[in-house]
Amino acid sequence: MIDTNQPAPPGLEGPGFFATSMDKVVGLARKNSLWPLPFATSCCGIEFMATAASHYDIARFGSERPSFSPRQADLLMVMGTIAKKMGPVLRMTYEQMAEPRWVIAVGACASSGGIFDTYSVLQGIDRIIPVDVYVPGCPPRPEQIIEGLLKIQELAANETTRRRDTEEYKALLESYSIS
Amino acid sequence: MVLLDAYLPSDFLPVVVQFGLAIGFVIVTMLVTHSIGPKNRGKVKDQQWECGIESVGDARAPISVKYFLVAILFVLFDVEIIFMYPWAVNFKQLGWVGFVEMIIFMGILLGGFYYIIRKGVLNWD
Amino acid sequence: MPFSNEEILGFVQTTIGEGLVHSSEPFDFLTIEVKPESLLHLVGSLKNHPQYQFTFMTDLCGVHLPEQKGKELGAVYLFHSWTTNTRIRVKTFAPIENPSIPSMTAHFNSANWMERETYDFYGINFTGHPNLVRILNVDDMDYFPMRKEYPLEDQVRRDKVDSMFGR
Repeated sequence: MIDTNQPAPPGLEGPGFFATSMDKVVGLARKNSLWPLPFATSCCGIEFMATAASHYDIARFGSERPSFSPRQADLLMVMGTIAKKMGPVLRMTYEQMAEPRWVIAVGACASSGGIFDTYSVLQGIDRIIPVDVYVPGCPPRPEQIIEGLLKIQELAANETTRRRDTEEYKALLESYSIS
Repeated sequence: MVLLDAYLPSDFLPVVVQFGLAIGFVIVTMLVTHSIGPKNRGKVKDQQWECGIESVGDARAPISVKYFLVAILFVLFDVEIIFMYPWAVNFKQLGWVGFVEMIIFMGILLGGFYYIIRKGVLNWD
Repeated sequence: MPFSNEEILGFVQTTIGEGLVHSSEPFDFLTIEVKPESLLHLVGSLKNHPQYQFTFMTDLCGVHLPEQKGKELGAVYLFHSWTTNTRIRVKTFAPIENPSIPSMTAHFNSANWMERETYDFYGINFTGHPNLVRILNVDDMDYFPMRKEYPLEDQVRRDKVDSMFGR
């Protein structure tokens, strides 16, 4: 269960001020303003449209501005079947995003190819880009997509401020041959 | 006329300081964030964003000169109109001499206007 | 008012004679099989005919029938006349070793991408096509997926757990 009414991070409180560590503040800021890049290809894209609409609003979690350019997006939401011909496009989109960046694979087709075990469908986007959260479903309900987003928020809140300089991140990108 | 409560130039010093602080803030923040911020460059990352595909060619294309001509003619005649505002305010004090001077001024500019029309510059195509 | 199938068939016989291999009428839809050499001439005559006016190509698709030796790969064309509401289906077949069928782009611009798709999935070489390259699959694929010569599953895959797929 994800608790959407979380308490403040541990810190020093007083009348009119609150002091905590820089990492926590930056994490709080990042987690509550994840701007998505909706890479919506098929049916899961429609479910995303429902999630982003007013009934299941993701704007209340901070994803107010979906951007279709990777330069200003934090979260790449891959929703739908990715064909092998689309693979290089998705990879270039991920590579041109600026750090910090997270990837969420929504739906069965993005996670593992789904029911399309065929010559033309990429069997899971984690064959070409690193993925942080997988949301299974065909298609997942908007509530499930929101839970995936909240898990990304947890990752964003607890990440170090300069993850892009760590050896672990560099090794991860090396394993996908992303320079 | 004697100007009794004139402002000395040194009275405008706070405005200059405020202006300098604003510009300085902008320059310092831009330079400092660029120098101490992290950079993660990459060959593919620095390329143009063309929706995930390789971009072809340059975005530079020659633009027709008619746009420039229309804009610059507007500026010229707009400045002429601006000169007419103080004339309108001081019409009576300038008298006949000022009137004739202004007519000569406008006549020169209207001569230029006639030249432009005959040259066909205002034809959009 | 649609023209009768016998009338169209008679016209086809007078136009290409020997080129007509077979004709039938499944569900009252006139279907003729012609040799690839006489295809363009027949389609041109049908399209430019003053009364029939088959000016619309509804579909172009490929077929692989491994049992017909010497005529495995084929293309099926559906033509329709808007003014007279008549339809006709034209089939041609070519051997699988060197399948080549004349391109319909001479008469119909819409055949351009449809022939590329048929080439992409069946490997039929349309002679006279301006740009016959793959359209839907990745460019470096070296086989033609819709031919009936592949087993249902890839035998050498190691990334699917056998027990979960009923093996």
